[in-house]
Amino acid sequence: MCSTSTTTSPEISTLVEKWRGKKGSLIMVLHELQNHYGYVPRDVSLQLSQQLDIPLARIYEVITFYNYFKLDPPGKYTIAICLGTACYLKGAPDLVDEVKNLLDIGEGQTSKDGLFHLDVVRCLGCCGLAPVLSVNGQIYGKVKRSEVMGILSKYKKED
Amino acid sequence: MEKPIIFIKDTSLTGDSSREIQTQLLKVAREKGIEDLQVIRVADLGIYDKGVALKICSLDIIYVNVKLSDAEKIIQTTIKEGTPIEDLLLENQAMQTRIVLRNCGIVDPESIDDYISRSGYASVGKCLFDMTPETVIEEMKKSGLRGRGGAGFPTWMKWNLARGSFGDEKYVICNADEGDPGAYMDRSVLEGDPHSVIEGMIIAGYAIGASKGFAYIRAEYPLAIERVQKAIDQAYEKGLLGKDILGSKFSFDLEIRLGAGAFVCGEETALIASIEGKRGTPKPRPPYPSDRGLWDKPTIINNVETLANIAVIFQKGAEWFATIGTDKSKGTKVFAVTGKVKNSGLVEIAMGTPLRDIVFQISGGCFVPENKMIAVQTGGPSGGVIPEKNFDTPVSYEHLIELGSIMGSGGMIVMDEDDCLVDISKFYLKFCVDESCGKCAPCRIGGYQMLAILEKITAGKGTLEDITSIKRIAQGMQKASLCALGQTAPNPVMSTLRYFESEYLDHIEKKKCRAGKCTKLLKFTIVPEKCKKCRLCVTNCPVNAISGDREKGYTIDQEKCIKCGRCFDVCKFEAIARA
Amino acid sequence: MVQLTRDDLKKVQPKIKAGQQYVKVGMSTCGIAAGAQEVFELFTKEIKQHDLNVVVTKTGCLGMCHAEPLVEVSVEGLPSVIYGRVNGEVAHRIIEEHVCGKRLVNDHIFDLPIRR
Ligand SMILES: Cc1cc2nc3c(=O)[nH]c(=O)nc-3n(C[C@H](O)[C@H](O)[C@H](O)COP(=O)(O)O)c2cc1C
Ligand code: SF4
Ligand code: FES
Repeated sequence: MCSTSTTTSPEISTLVEKWRGKKGSLIMVLHELQNHYGYVPRDVSLQLSQQLDIPLARIYEVITFYNYFKLDPPGKYTIAICLGTACYLKGAPDLVDEVKNLLDIGEGQTSKDGLFHLDVVRCLGCCGLAPVLSVNGQIYGKVKRSEVMGILSKYKKED
Repeated sequence: MEKPIIFIKDTSLTGDSSREIQTQLLKVAREKGIEDLQVIRVADLGIYDKGVALKICSLDIIYVNVKLSDAEKIIQTTIKEGTPIEDLLLENQAMQTRIVLRNCGIVDPESIDDYISRSGYASVGKCLFDMTPETVIEEMKKSGLRGRGGAGFPTWMKWNLARGSFGDEKYVICNADEGDPGAYMDRSVLEGDPHSVIEGMIIAGYAIGASKGFAYIRAEYPLAIERVQKAIDQAYEKGLLGKDILGSKFSFDLEIRLGAGAFVCGEETALIASIEGKRGTPKPRPPYPSDRGLWDKPTIINNVETLANIAVIFQKGAEWFATIGTDKSKGTKVFAVTGKVKNSGLVEIAMGTPLRDIVFQISGGCFVPENKMIAVQTGGPSGGVIPEKNFDTPVSYEHLIELGSIMGSGGMIVMDEDDCLVDISKFYLKFCVDESCGKCAPCRIGGYQMLAILEKITAGKGTLEDITSIKRIAQGMQKASLCALGQTAPNPVMSTLRYFESEYLDHIEKKKCRAGKCTKLLKFTIVPEKCKKCRLCVTNCPVNAISGDREKGYTIDQEKCIKCGRCFDVCKFEAIARA
Repeated sequence: MVQLTRDDLKKVQPKIKAGQQYVKVGMSTCGIAAGAQEVFELFTKEIKQHDLNVVVTKTGCLGMCHAEPLVEVSVEGLPSVIYGRVNGEVAHRIIEEHVCGKRLVNDHIFDLPIRR
């Protein structure tokens, strides 16, 4: 095992205890970590590897396979635009364009001020309200291109 | 005594004369001494394009094409005397039949008492105390229930195989990964009636001899996860999960495992790998999960909707269940109808209902009334299109396959003349390419190549040979891919080629996209006769491609134009032509 | 924990007893996205203010996602109906006109044929 001197934080120990002995718990543990930190920091993975006695490569293998897990800290507000079929047909690509233009970022990137992160996702399950986007989980339905600016400025103001 | 109530709605596409008739009905009623009649304009009666429609609530009948002059007769004959007027009656209305969604929108999903009071968990009682696992499976066989997750495999057969396999431990998995983008039937059931799924899993566990179950739910559904977890906790609380359920000798534990945004994890062997905490890559079958599944133990995987059907089968009997549907497809199917329909939402219909009824009657037809509907796509990225001319086909496993599509898990995307089928096929294929796990070459490379060809075609650079290549690649993928993701990825393309080859040819030969969706084929020009020289387009063009002056007029530099369509959108005088 | 037996199941009572007046708000993801949470709170508040004998509960998706938020209202003397596109103003009208005044509200009822 590698000899990094990172000390284990109490959260990680509690988490590991909760899932210890349960088979196949790695993904569940990663979910809890991402919920806590907003992403999976490298040193946390390292601690996890030591605590659970799983090689770091095994952990990274899993993190990188699943789209849901992030390795970099997201912006303060994550904008998730749905590009599921229903939203695609109702003009979601225009919303993506608009956000890209307004914030000067690409998919999966964070704006320079660290405020917004743009994700493109598949179906948020509100296809009846297509096109749909969400900001930190708050869902906006039947969004028009012209409304994007207003939604974003709401969060800018709050900041 | 309930007050007499009439619902009124003008269902024609143009104009609204419901207010006039509403006033007239009230006036006549007052003249005839009926003071407490309520005539209420409603937002929707589930009837479209049949003039003014009335629902007489007390008699539960519907009149259509009602004229102002009918008011007198309606009040006298129907309201006063209580007799229907034959000439106005609506003939057979397309109906939804709700089995899976029986409790959705009725019970409080966070209250187990609500569920139990609607005969919930009675089927668990019946199975545990009155039936053996064998008779449970026998009953499932009689019901004819087939999997709702896509493939349509008979559920009893899957259970029977797992029952027959040897294992000191067996598992039941609920597949709630709902990967098809644009479909959300399973989410609604999990959020609206989570106990129905849990009950189905307990019965499945009893039938195959499993004492442990997992609900694999996609992480993108936080509310569903929360409600299912609550439901599981409540069921433990009442002794409906855990040791000695209902005081019987049968024990069953259930826990949630989360997906993490990988479509391929909907595939059985990939899902198992994911629950084991590994990368979700499929494995060759056999061995089938019913033989060696989760941790190499016999395992069954059933879809949410399949499981939600089970309690009803034992409550009302397999014979009853088998009376609903067609010969080979029993029961109902829930569809998430989205796209260009008026009412997008969930629709549960008895198998065998014609597609036309779903699209035009239940879902109200086209979103933009003047537009023509061209096709419906079922089965998501693994499915295909059904053109308008085949809309009279009954919806069932066998009929949809005949048309080159599949039942799928329940996504139903309706497309109208503003949609380009080549573009949609490209969209689905891109989805599969993005989601391919990359384990096997036919899918990883074939998909990528086919997508490149479609990109070429939609950019106006396609040739006729490209169509041949697409067909060749498709064959390779269908035959040689390891899992169904790769095997079915070419389906949307193949099926649009089958029905709409001319659209492909338009893109290739005429460099034209009928719907104007393939932006690279578009050309924006200014129509001098209509242009009022307001300069709105000039200021809105993001790349300054429009130049000129008030004297000479304005032109669009085709080299600079990025086809974003801003000018087309902002022009108030329709002076921008898009071709 | 209580260990229910098979017979106990038959004795369990629903949250809303027969004859009880109620307002059910559809609160699945799509409903909440369309504003069902505010509508739910508004109903709860107004019913308390008016001191009405009406239970407000949440329920799952009714399937008419295009018309969210959806609310089912059942009061004595009137058939139970489903209202769609309910916002604050409509919710207020439902309380005033439907629940208190026993008159259905125009233009928001969605009455779709469903066999159960
Ligand atoms: C790529 C792929 C994705 C799938 N996604 C799902 C899904 O999201 N939900 C589901 O229930 N079945 C899905 N399936 C089908 C399942 O593998 C499996 O057939 C199904 O869960 C069996 O349940 P059933 O017999 O009750 O239908 C998918 C299959 C493949 C190949
Ligand atoms: S067909 Fe595609 S998704 Fe399936 S195993 Fe092969 S590469 Fe992976
Ligand atoms: S396709 Fe966008 S929410 Fe389903």
